[in-house]
Amino acid sequence: MSLFEKFTAVKRLRSGLANAGTDPTQVVFDTLNSATEGVVKGRRIILAGTNNYLGLTFNRECIVAGVAALESLGTGTTGSRMANGSYAAHGALEEELADFYQCPNAMVFSTGYAANLGVLTALLGKGDAVLLDSDAHASLYDGCRMSGADIFRFKHNDLQSLERRLVRLKDRASRCLIVVEGMYSVLGDCAPVAEFVALKERFGASLLVDEAHSLGVYGERGCGVAEAQGVLDKVDFIVGTFSKSLGAMGGFCASRHAVLGLFRYVSRPFMFTASPSPAVMATTREALRQLRSRPELKQTLWSNARRLYCGLQNLGFELGPEISPVVAVRCKDRESVLANWNRLLEAGVYVNMMLPPATPAGGSFLRCSASAAHTPEQIDTIIEKFAELQE
Amino acid sequence: MKLSTEAVSGQLAEILAQYLKNNWVDTPASTRAVTATTNMVSDLQLDSFQVMEFMLEVEDHYDVAIDLESLSNIHTILDLAGVVIAAHSE
Repeated sequence: MSLFEKFTAVKRLRSGLANAGTDPTQVVFDTLNSATEGVVKGRRIILAGTNNYLGLTFNRECIVAGVAALESLGTGTTGSRMANGSYAAHGALEEELADFYQCPNAMVFSTGYAANLGVLTALLGKGDAVLLDSDAHASLYDGCRMSGADIFRFKHNDLQSLERRLVRLKDRASRCLIVVEGMYSVLGDCAPVAEFVALKERFGASLLVDEAHSLGVYGERGCGVAEAQGVLDKVDFIVGTFSKSLGAMGGFCASRHAVLGLFRYVSRPFMFTASPSPAVMATTREALRQLRSRPELKQTLWSNARRLYCGLQNLGFELGPEISPVVAVRCKDRESVLANWNRLLEAGVYVNMMLPPATPAGGSFLRCSASAAHTPEQIDTIIEKFAELQE
Repeated sequence: MKLSTEAVSGQLAEILAQYLKNNWVDTPASTRAVTATTNMVSDLQLDSFQVMEFMLEVEDHYDVAIDLESLSNIHTILDLAGVVIAAHSE
């Protein structure tokens, strides 16, 4: 068998995607006009699949901060913090995140993916056990796998399923890590984090919550689902990303445990990669400042989310289980989702196409994400274009 | 109580058939009769997610813990029966 034979199936998959029109995995934006509008093949497109929840990517203050950092500190750090040293902004952002999450420790990573790999591989090792929600993001699966720990899945958001597995672990339960997300990225449903906290305390386990999609979206202060459910101080590790609500790139972990301060000595995805650039640190810090000082961003986001969810629901589409900034429209199968995705793009709306096996219950979805930067008129246009799919 | 390979294989075939029915896994391949030598991926064309979801049902049925890493060595119902019996005896 040739080394390249495994790509035969990939080639077939790619042909299938391209034959339907535009390949959803290969969309090129000629330019972006704003946080909610781009240009594809010369045509203006409403962006309804960007995870740009607070719409800060074109925020003037963020851009000014980024430009100032570029001017004063240059384009990149050209190495890891362990080898090349840290810039003051790395430490400042870590302090600001620790303050935001009201915990003593925070750590910045170069991407959200690296944050999950870095935290899980530092925390877990051979002989440890991890209980992972079945709908968890690929980065959480990959981090658990890389750690060498024994991985056991439990049914998505199912307390009974988790409890059964904690019981089965017997003595190992007290040194096990439970891994969940705050808001899940495909359907926009939230974890019962408060109930998970109660379970982990009963068994003496630890809990990691990935708030990648819920930072800036849930909680009075915008910390995420753990804050919204009143258990932020009980979660052992919060991980997240700068690439969604904060409109930049990078990841972080915040923890009430001092051991997080030691992760940087053992976490390979932290140690052996270039640190975030000065411009990224500067825009992230400014975006975090805005997230904290402008609660109206979250209010506008939720107003748009409700408008989008209810509009599509009224059309009779099968959606995710709760109103959220992520609105997933279930399609019959792979062929119909691909055809409808292309029709929406032709009509001037960009959404995400989600296919199995990377989706819950093997479903095929057109996934939209609302933004605080969408105007009500843009939301209505998105709904109108979905309605045209039914004709 | 010690489980026999034959008995567990038979039960697993039934659980898998039920899983396919309950989850509307409805491809020409998935309607084939499930036997001890059925390969879940090449015969039934289940994807990795469907195999993992089926495994959750198996864990609960036998009240055993099956590590995700074990999946790479499980291809047939017979392979799975071996893993279930080993986990059950722990």
